[in-house]
Amino acid sequence: MTKNSKQALASIIAVACLCLAIVLAPVPHQAQDVASGQATANVLTGLSVTSTQALNFGDVLQGVAKSVPNNDAANSGIFVVTGEPSAGISVYIALPPYLATATGDDRMNIVFGVTDCSIDSTGNSNPSTFGDGWPNVDPYALPNNLVIGSAAPSQTAVFLGGEVVPSVDQTAGPYTGEIVITVAYNGT
Amino acid sequence: MMRIVIQTLVLVLVLTVSVSGQNVTVNNDLVFGSVFPGIPKTITKYTAGSACEFQITGTAGAEITIDLTLPTYMNAGGFSMQLIFSETDCAIDTAATPDQSSPEFDDLDPWHTLTYRLGSNGLTLWLGGIVVPALRQQQGSYSASIVITVQYTGS
Repeated sequence: MTKNSKQALASIIAVACLCLAIVLAPVPHQAQDVASGQATANVLTGLSVTSTQALNFGDVLQGVAKSVPNNDAANSGIFVVTGEPSAGISVYIALPPYLATATGDDRMNIVFGVTDCSIDSTGNSNPSTFGDGWPNVDPYALPNNLVIGSAAPSQTAVFLGGEVVPSVDQTAGPYTGEIVITVAYNGT
Repeated sequence: MMRIVIQTLVLVLVLTVSVSGQNVTVNNDLVFGSVFPGIPKTITKYTAGSACEFQITGTAGAEITIDLTLPTYMNAGGFSMQLIFSETDCAIDTAATPDQSSPEFDDLDPWHTLTYRLGSNGLTLWLGGIVVPALRQQQGSYSASIVITVQYTGS
């Protein structure tokens, strides 16, 4: 092989290597990378509130007020709230100012005192055997630190008493009124 | 001749190792933790350990584009929960020691392409968001994917 041939071959190899370098070399300005992260959340138990017993005054005489205490197992109003154990809740009770006949032609006053409500967070739902929580509180302004009971069955019971005040000429017959309880998590 | 070939091969080697592609690592997922039904929960981009954190490495000084593909819902089985990313939920720091609590570039819009240059240690991106469970949101573990795509611009 002549010297010129060797030089030519060397040049060809050099050019080939350069081309190879261009082809093989990483091209960062066109590179791309993709990664996937996750968003995660754990949704806790939903709230549920059930009226298990109506506030029942039974038979009432005209002109004679009648009270039901909040620890009356047979007659006090009972609401049971279930949800995430130990979670903070806000509770609001909308109380009626009167009871009415089915036709609405007569009304009977009902009043709730500032100690007519008890809230038990031990899992007990019997008002006569109050466990622990917030006894004898104002149903119009319930404490703001209420929680769902931490022990099974993870519930909080609301016991409600009250007083009806029939007039002396109260129309005879059954009277009813709605007690609406609203419960929501407060995020604590 | 051999000298020319060797020189060329060295050049090939130099060309091969002197450049590098970028790499994205997920340092932290966006973790909302426990969520009460009916109560929205926000994780800010500044919340270490809970905000989503991506680490991008590559050629220092190179300009890159970052595109995030964001979910609008998280899922658990057949149930979904709304997930919201606002126009200021993203932040970036290209410093050698990135500071999540006071990032170099703050209040960025994660819904649009972000264009920045890699620092000496690359670039760190943080992402916050808000989850909005319904009042009767089904209990369970919800998740969704956040996809990040990074590309050199050539500048």
